[in-house]
Amino acid sequence: MSYTLIYSQVSGHIPYLLAGAWLTLQLACISFFIGWGIGLVNAAVLAYGPRPARMAVRAYVTFFINTPLLVQIFFIFFVLPDMGILLSPYAAVAIGMSLNAGAYLTEIQRAGFGSLRRAEMDAAAAMGFSLVQTIWYVVLPHIAKALYPPLANQFIIQVMTTSIAAIFAVEELTGRAYNVNSLTFRALEVFSITAVIYIALTILCSLALALLGRWLFRVNAKVF
Amino acid sequence: MWDQVVEEAPRFFGYYNLIFIGEALVNTLLLSWIGATVGFGFGFLFAICRHPRLFGLLPLRILATLYVELFRRIPFLVKLMCVFFAFQLSGAQASLFTIALVTVVLSAAAFAAEIARAGLESIPAPQWDAAEAMNFGRWRTLWRVVAPQSFRIVLPPLFGYTVGFIKSTSIASQIGVMELTYAAKILNTRGFSALLCFGTILLLYFLICWPTKHFGERLERRLARR
Repeated sequence: MSYTLIYSQVSGHIPYLLAGAWLTLQLACISFFIGWGIGLVNAAVLAYGPRPARMAVRAYVTFFINTPLLVQIFFIFFVLPDMGILLSPYAAVAIGMSLNAGAYLTEIQRAGFGSLRRAEMDAAAAMGFSLVQTIWYVVLPHIAKALYPPLANQFIIQVMTTSIAAIFAVEELTGRAYNVNSLTFRALEVFSITAVIYIALTILCSLALALLGRWLFRVNAKVF
Repeated sequence: MWDQVVEEAPRFFGYYNLIFIGEALVNTLLLSWIGATVGFGFGFLFAICRHPRLFGLLPLRILATLYVELFRRIPFLVKLMCVFFAFQLSGAQASLFTIALVTVVLSAAAFAAEIARAGLESIPAPQWDAAEAMNFGRWRTLWRVVAPQSFRIVLPPLFGYTVGFIKSTSIASQIGVMELTYAAKILNTRGFSALLCFGTILLLYFLICWPTKHFGERLERRLARR
């Protein structure tokens, strides 16, 4: 049996899909920045916190890194209502992705904190830098150089994992692809277009992040 | 909620349910391990295709590069849907398991190619020249000189990616492959509490992934010491 690809039936829905891509970016941004916050706090706890807190953070990171995001969101979406917490699909996905990203970003930022050397702080103190100046001129440029590329990479991963939201009927890019598929029944066309949009989206994000890194921190993050 | 779980637990962990979950576990393991192994094999082939010392053929290099760069940028779910419908529309009779396996292989190849390339490039060029001076052919140089050294760099991250693919196979539940996540969904539909179903499955995933990741990290430390 042969199948002819007919893109003309789907091309009318491309603006609808692109609007979904905007939602994808939103979800990626929300989960990335919340996860970043979680990771920052956790990395600080790992560096300076008391032992029980450190163990709690390690348990959190190990658990979230070693279990699938999909099942984590299933857990949040189906188990929390039993405890009286009713979440919308969007909220459940956002919370799940944030917690998941938080675990990875803890690992990344812990490594960044580790790259900071005591001697540099002492040198800054010897030069009469204030705390803010030390952070701005010494700590931040150093950490940014070590952290920016993996952080940018994590953002791209976040953009791609948002596709899981489609499983919970959130109408982001993949969710909208499901919708268009059930409208037109041109499955292969719809999903290949979706794939191309994802490729374009992540390449654009990589480019933007590389430019931003070069401009803000003088970091050479690679696009490819 | 807790007393409901306590009440259900003996029924949930009954003989037939355990067999059901066990089969799902085996499917998850087969899917991720076979997929990752075959995919990593293809990944090495791609890396070899992209290496300027091994293949002068420019079109092949461009094709391999395009594949690697593009396939890493498509989410697993979208890839799965593309493969699923491609199989369906081409009329080929394939089981759902095969479709999921093909998807894992496609993504594993793209990711492994990148690691393998880093491994091959970590061997300094003078070694190639030295091997050539010793009258080694390029394939013999690859097999005897470059590959054994690059394995040190390539092997540990592959375990990390294997964990990634174990986790990705949970998405295969979307097309109805009988693996852990799908089993949890079915048990949940049968009326067992969500906490019990998804909690058990989360724990099982953790028990597969954590040792794999741990082993990779230990291997990395041991290889770095040598």
